[in-house]
Amino acid sequence: MEKSVAAKTQTLDDAPTLPMTEAAYLPGIAYDEMFTPDGEVRKHYDPLHGRMSTLGAEELAGRQRTLERSFLLQGITFTVYGAENTTERIIPTDLFPRIIPAAEWSKIEAGLTQRLQALNLFLADIYGDQQILMDGVVPRELVLGAPSYRREMQHLYVPHKAYANVCGSDLIRQQNGEFAVLEDNLRVPSGVSYMLANRDAAKRTFPGTYRAAGVRPVERYPDLLLSTLKSMAADWRGDPQVVVLTPGVYNSAYYEHAYLARLMGVPLVEGRDLVVHENMVYMRTTTGLRRIDVIYRRVDDDFIDPLTFRRDSSLGAAGLFNAYRAGNVVICNAPGTGVADDKAVYAYVPDIIRYYLGQEAILPNIETFLCREPRQLQHVLGNLDKYVVKAVGASGGYGMLVGPHASQKERDDFAEAIKADPENYIAQPTIQLSTAPCLVDGRIEPRHVDLRPFILSGEKTIVTPGALTRVALKRGSLVVNSSQGGGSKDTWVLAEENGLHNGNGHGNGSARP
Amino acid sequence: MMLARVADSLYWLGRYIERAEHLSRLSSVMLNATLDQTDGTQAVWIAMAAVGEPGDGAGVGSFEAAEALVLDRQDPNSVVSSLARARENARQVRDQITTETWERLNLLYLKVTDARAGKEFSDGSANFLHDVIADLHLFKGAADTTMSHGESWRFMMLGIYMERAQLVSRLLEVCFAESPARGQVDDHVALVSVLRMACALEPYLRVYTAEIEPRHILEFLVFDEDFPRSIRFATAQIEQHLSAMARSASERAGPERLAGRLKARLQFADVDELEAVGAGPLLTTVVNECARIHEAIYETFVAYPLETRLPA
Repeated sequence: MEKSVAAKTQTLDDAPTLPMTEAAYLPGIAYDEMFTPDGEVRKHYDPLHGRMSTLGAEELAGRQRTLERSFLLQGITFTVYGAENTTERIIPTDLFPRIIPAAEWSKIEAGLTQRLQALNLFLADIYGDQQILMDGVVPRELVLGAPSYRREMQHLYVPHKAYANVCGSDLIRQQNGEFAVLEDNLRVPSGVSYMLANRDAAKRTFPGTYRAAGVRPVERYPDLLLSTLKSMAADWRGDPQVVVLTPGVYNSAYYEHAYLARLMGVPLVEGRDLVVHENMVYMRTTTGLRRIDVIYRRVDDDFIDPLTFRRDSSLGAAGLFNAYRAGNVVICNAPGTGVADDKAVYAYVPDIIRYYLGQEAILPNIETFLCREPRQLQHVLGNLDKYVVKAVGASGGYGMLVGPHASQKERDDFAEAIKADPENYIAQPTIQLSTAPCLVDGRIEPRHVDLRPFILSGEKTIVTPGALTRVALKRGSLVVNSSQGGGSKDTWVLAEENGLHNGNGHGNGSARP
Repeated sequence: MMLARVADSLYWLGRYIERAEHLSRLSSVMLNATLDQTDGTQAVWIAMAAVGEPGDGAGVGSFEAAEALVLDRQDPNSVVSSLARARENARQVRDQITTETWERLNLLYLKVTDARAGKEFSDGSANFLHDVIADLHLFKGAADTTMSHGESWRFMMLGIYMERAQLVSRLLEVCFAESPARGQVDDHVALVSVLRMACALEPYLRVYTAEIEPRHILEFLVFDEDFPRSIRFATAQIEQHLSAMARSASERAGPERLAGRLKARLQFADVDELEAVGAGPLLTTVVNECARIHEAIYETFVAYPLETRLPA
């Protein structure tokens, strides 16, 4: 194979056909998605690499602009409220897809299915007979004491034991090339609209390469979601009425809520549209009240019912939870699923899988230290410069210390916070997320990425063959959250090992018609 | 079947779209009238009075007045504010309108709120306003050709025609109802401007040729059966959309009955009668009846008391 770009090329003479580069593409010590450590292009990246090499910098910049404009036009934006005026910004998006070969995906798929099945069984158990707590596999106080544990859910029937109907786990690729689970998101995971919008854009940006690569489609997500939601309704409700419940237009994920409602063809409701009467949930329509069977809620547990949870919430409907208890409506995801993606419970997930399924976890965890355990706490405090410490309750990249990048003062301050409330913290080694090529300021550079696939679970468990790849756009940054300057890119899951049999190094002329 | 809140948003989407278009046209005609050697002040006065800011633009220049009418974000009645509200409503019901329709509006919104909009306006206000109006026509065209002509679309059209009936009535009131302060508009330039403000010049000429007479203008803009901006046409549309919705809703006719009455009133009146008693009373009736229809729409479709609709 032609070695067109050596990954560690340092001089202009060796750097090459990619328009990237005054300084060539320089992956660091992390696993790079496109290049092997020797600077060879990985086979599944061949066609894309070829295309990248033939397009000039101008052309790439033009395509990037077209892509951003299409996002702006579609309204895939968040609003920045300024003093003078408000402006619309798109979530930064990168035009180069991230590619995952079929063999790697089948392992991810099996691992995610296994994991979600076990977590759903875990939820059914802890809200039921609590066998796993009796057997001492997971500490009782860790589960029952978690703020996300909802006593109200105890002994409540959930069809198919599917508590988390939509799950968006965060995976990362470690230095050795293996995928591991960083976090399970079982509450109201978002980002799936970006997966679909990115795909739509990628098809227009690299149509030839897309066709040649043999990418598995993700477009069925909305109808799979709808059938998952319908499978949660009671059997005797002939044609169940499904709705999407949004906090409203000012929510940062509003675009996604409207997008999913539109593609599923179901009403997008807000709390003020709902009326609960005699334990039935209705929505106010122009022709009167209409009964609702399934609510895909994109509102956090705390806010769905002021009678049961937070009393000051106006985002939900009073009496909703009682209607749920009475079996007259289904809330998806079920309230209280958050306890299973708690950062401390996370450490026990391999044990949970072993307990319920009698299997070893297919996708490993990241090594995790629980500060609640005195010995682990001592270890963490003694090695703060090596670890990432996270608050158990926080998410979105907040309340977090990245030890190696922090100042001594920051570490000292954080150590005090940990000692004051050790149960609230966990620590993990800093992980080098893998890197993938991104267009940054007109050059192609490696940036750290993670992977968020979406798993649906109702009557069946389905892993969508695609994902949201989040990108840390700042050089060297490991934080991919969109609230912290992260972007996203499309993710191509290949149907089979394409690009292998093309013969020519670039695979530009495709084997497929 | 659609959510009451959604019906409300679609209705207001229609109203704001129509308002933005009307305001753009008023500004455009006003600016154009002042370009000529002949006296354009009457046109300026008409436009300002029609937006509820009587005065002859003596304090501020007509350009500044037009600029404020178009681009002032603090003024809730400017073009840019109307478009912002239209878009906000569209965003609330993003799942109900087609992508094609949404994109037209979003694009226009991004254009008028862009940092360069002020400069574009001062560089060429005529072109700027021409493009805004053309974009709004594209929006309506996209809605017409891509949305299902069901309940969602009907609520939007209802908003458009309700707003139009009131705006045209208001414009005619300003020009032809007796007012102690000013006599009726009779100046040729001003009369042509009135027709332009109602986007009616070319259709008018085809009916009445180039004889521009107040009597004919009134007849055309109040009673014409086919011209889409006549009050009669608008009320007929309102009645039609309301009765179609009432059929699907199997509701007692509240707003529908009011709309039918207003439509009949306009159907069986003529311009001789109007001249005999003056245009004022009829135009005031139209404005007041529209306000009553608006309330009835709310009581029937949007803000109905829950007790009446709970299952027994």
